[in-house]
Amino acid sequence: MRALSARNRELLNLLVVGMLTGLGFASVYIARSEIVSPESLTYAAFFLLVYLVAHVVARLTVPYADPYLLPLAGFLTAIGLTEIYRLNPDDAFRQGLWVVLGVALFSAALVALRSDYRRLESYKYVIGFGALVLLALPAFPVIGREIRGAQLWVEIGPLQFQPGEFAKILLIVFLAGYLREKREVLAQGRLKDFGPLLLIWGGAMAVLVQTNDLGSGLLYFGIFLGMLYVATARLVFVMGGMALFLAGSAFVYRIIPRVEDRVTIWLDPWPHAQDEGYQLVQSLFAIAFGGFGGTGLGKGTFTTSDGTNLIPDLNTDFIYAALAHELGLVGIAAVLLVYMLFAMRGFRVAMLAQDGFSKLLAAGLTFGFALQTFIIVGGVVRLIPLTGITLPFVSYGGSSLLANFVLLAGLLLVSNRALAPRD
Amino acid sequence: MTPPLGESIAVDEALVILKVLFLVLLYLFIWRIVRTASKDVRLPQESFILRPGEAEAAGLSQPSAIQTGKLTVLKSPALEPGTTYELDSTPLTIGRGGQNDVPIEQDEFASARHARFEPRRDGVWVQDRGSTNGTFVNGAQLERPRRLAPGDVVRVGETDLRYDR
Repeated sequence: MRALSARNRELLNLLVVGMLTGLGFASVYIARSEIVSPESLTYAAFFLLVYLVAHVVARLTVPYADPYLLPLAGFLTAIGLTEIYRLNPDDAFRQGLWVVLGVALFSAALVALRSDYRRLESYKYVIGFGALVLLALPAFPVIGREIRGAQLWVEIGPLQFQPGEFAKILLIVFLAGYLREKREVLAQGRLKDFGPLLLIWGGAMAVLVQTNDLGSGLLYFGIFLGMLYVATARLVFVMGGMALFLAGSAFVYRIIPRVEDRVTIWLDPWPHAQDEGYQLVQSLFAIAFGGFGGTGLGKGTFTTSDGTNLIPDLNTDFIYAALAHELGLVGIAAVLLVYMLFAMRGFRVAMLAQDGFSKLLAAGLTFGFALQTFIIVGGVVRLIPLTGITLPFVSYGGSSLLANFVLLAGLLLVSNRALAPRD
Repeated sequence: MTPPLGESIAVDEALVILKVLFLVLLYLFIWRIVRTASKDVRLPQESFILRPGEAEAAGLSQPSAIQTGKLTVLKSPALEPGTTYELDSTPLTIGRGGQNDVPIEQDEFASARHARFEPRRDGVWVQDRGSTNGTFVNGAQLERPRRLAPGDVVRVGETDLRYDR
């Protein structure tokens, strides 16, 4: 076993993922053969090919990087693509294109930063400014676009994207550099040093108000608190930050009806089952109907007899419900385990990293990934108020997929540096 | 939409088989990763939280939180006795090969990649790198990485090194 190099182990695991993809697509094909065509089976092969390309690039650029992150991400992308394909083959075709672009961006990031990603630290203020610009973009009149009440989109010509997804990555890089430099001062906890903390709290609240979306605000502020804790080991900052966030949220709850709706539905969706709470209630029914073993991939019921969708946004925000419906508790637990393993490997990269910037970067990227998963899964299963953010690697959507591929590249770069032999 | 009855049963059976195969393979995949990860020997027993007062540990310079020390040559066919090697934050390798931090070409009992000293937070560890003749600490052959106490004598080939803080 020891003889297997990291990259060979990665290859082996990718082949297992390829087999899983094949089984998933075969199941969808057999269950829905009257709708989908046999050529669809080439999706699985094509998907494996794309990931093998990513593997070869990793082999050339980051030979010592963690061997499990890429296969785990591969599995998540595969199960997402399978489910999207099952829901809407046309969306799956577009998602397939996004996967190709994602792998291209992933490869570009690895090639560009393979020698030393730590030079990003010198550009931290430029990167932080970039994050702010991206966050503010949807608010601009001509290009900004509101979709279902949340101002998160930018539309330039035919191209639509969510700049917030990329802002997340830039914010993490900025915070890694900034906190690395300022952590000693911050750890002392003098009141005047809390300026930046309050500024970022204000920023998160502004994002929240401006986008009408609790989820993104929670995500950005959560990432900030998590990284602040990693940098200073002061639990009191996290407590204080959470108290501030709750206070801010309570205020926002009063002034923005949309947020108030979300909380009401969260506390008791049943009286609203036919209006505001319809989506959540249908999603809960879908999950419950999946039961222990699920209906099987391709066998679930997501449309009424006349073909209208029971759950709006099923392939983006609510894809977790679709997966739970078709894979059952056994399958969805495995999917959550894959998310946990990804987070575990990511935090391990943070542990192994030799310098503060790398540790903060790896911990921040992993924490952002894990928190985002928690926020959307928690929202769909009614553990916390529902907010529309994507399930990393699984949800339909180009911006999210591309950003997550960059995140993956970042973790591989840090782990390659940490594990490369220094002799 | 509804296929003939006989065909529908065959389809259902095929789907159950695919579902079971999918789940079994998926859990095997997860189990394999969990198992290999738990066998990971290189994982240092430390947290990734940067603590106050460990300023240097966070910087790009040498982390002070990591135990350091020095190695003094007691006797060697390759090195001058009395020579000292500082152990800083990075691991130090010794062996006959020129790529080592401490190359000992003239020591004929040493292997090309012989042993490695690794300063960690809980002390300086020495590890044999699969050498032919083995690495010894105070006369006992190393079976697994071992933490050094000040005054320990490490033998690599015919070279004796003393570890001090």
